Amino acid sequence: MADPKKARAPFAPWDRRELPGAFTVEESARRVGNYKWIEMKLFEVLGGWVATVPELDVKMRLGTHCYHHAWHSELWHKRLPELREMNPDRLTLPANDELVAFVDAMTEPEAPDLTIEKLVGVYRVLIPHKIAAYTFHLNNTSTITDAPTIRSLKFALQDEFEDWRDGEMLIQSLIDTDAEVDRAAAHQAKLEKLMLAAGGIAGPGSIGSAYTEQEAHA
Amino acid sequence: MRKIFPADLLARDERFVRLTTEQRFMDPRSPGSRSNPRGAMKLTPDRPDAPDAARALMHGIFVGEVQALEGAGRTCWDFETGDGGDETPFALKLDMARQCWDEARHCEISVKLSDWMGTELGEFSESTFLYEAACNPDPVLRLTGVNRALEGLAIDVFNTMKEFGDIAGDPVLEFCEDWMLADEVTHVKMGSDWLRRLTEKDPERRERALEFQRIVDKLFSLGGFRGEDDDSPIRLARRFRELAGFDKEEMDDLAEISREAKADADRMREQLVAEANA
Repeated sequence: MADPKKARAPFAPWDRRELPGAFTVEESARRVGNYKWIEMKLFEVLGGWVATVPELDVKMRLGTHCYHHAWHSELWHKRLPELREMNPDRLTLPANDELVAFVDAMTEPEAPDLTIEKLVGVYRVLIPHKIAAYTFHLNNTSTITDAPTIRSLKFALQDEFEDWRDGEMLIQSLIDTDAEVDRAAAHQAKLEKLMLAAGGIAGPGSIGSAYTEQEAHA
Repeated sequence: MRKIFPADLLARDERFVRLTTEQRFMDPRSPGSRSNPRGAMKLTPDRPDAPDAARALMHGIFVGEVQALEGAGRTCWDFETGDGGDETPFALKLDMARQCWDEARHCEISVKLSDWMGTELGEFSESTFLYEAACNPDPVLRLTGVNRALEGLAIDVFNTMKEFGDIAGDPVLEFCEDWMLADEVTHVKMGSDWLRRLTEKDPERRERALEFQRIVDKLFSLGGFRGEDDDSPIRLARRFRELAGFDKEEMDDLAEISREAKADADRMREQLVAEANA
């Protein structure tokens, strides 16, 4: 082993983490509050739907996924005071009224023959938008100052990817006819338009903007 | 989706056969049935009908787990989040979501065990009286009915099945029941802790909740099906209930409730036999 007294760089050569990040403490807290709100709405409806779906495999998966999103909401709940929000309920809010409209429409189906609609809303619309917003946050926040948020984002994203795959495979296994393809697509389009109006789970800017400033203002 | 989902609308596929609670208790094949002239019998491997009785009990556990999953899920949905009387605290909802996951695993375990024991889903009937305890519109009463009475029954059932697996030389059954038993102790402890926290400043509400629990416990004693007598098919699991927050007085009360339920059933049975012989 080399001389233990010999000076070493504080950051190892392979550690490329940087200080700058796109979010202030306040902006990170605002987003985390939005995340907690949407995770709560998601675990509540998944729990509620369990009794309404006749398909046994779907029933059991919804019960499992219900806990995943409850746990995510708990992670965000615990993160808020660390971001100087001592009353976590104050920032546990929807990004805007349009997102409330999206959630209302997503949670509306109840009848036992609407499993496709229930799953499409969650696994083809909401969860892909959550993955997008969480990934944007992960890739844009300071890898040093906001490391606790990054750690929670990574835990949540791992669940989101696995749950998305579970849900998508359930949808594919339920769709048997052209008419059911159309049903799924129509419901997805309806909800996607509501999500578009909301601008994503954290409102406009959930995944930043892909356009240059000049084009964005054109 | 509506709040408070009625038991008769619980969604099932075509394999499931649903009976009313009355039909179930009047069916002479049901253990502890009021019209069963043999009365309740302890589940032991030397009983001639032990394999069928064990399979029936396993199927009952399976549908019970499905309803427990549905009940915990509805508690996540039915109430607004908050600290008001008709609301549910965020942390309680998190516990219910965790319970959803646990019950979903129990469903999976029960399906695998039923297959292991040679049972097909839907081979035995389902009644929804377990879920009905999870429909109370007061979150504290619902919690007490589900997490202390229903999940308490689950402790007794899993402990009995675990012992049956041990005596019958079925290590798979014993192994699985022991794991599920650990989860149920956690769920009952959740119920005990939340009951104490939510009614700390409201002794009247606490008493209403405990009274509701006594009613559900009597229903779950199933005419003497669960008790402390040597021939009780399901034995009161005092050691595990103590871990879950039950005190001695509560367990003594429960034993008394079970004795009363058995005495009621015995009287009904004698009456039926007398009528048949007249």
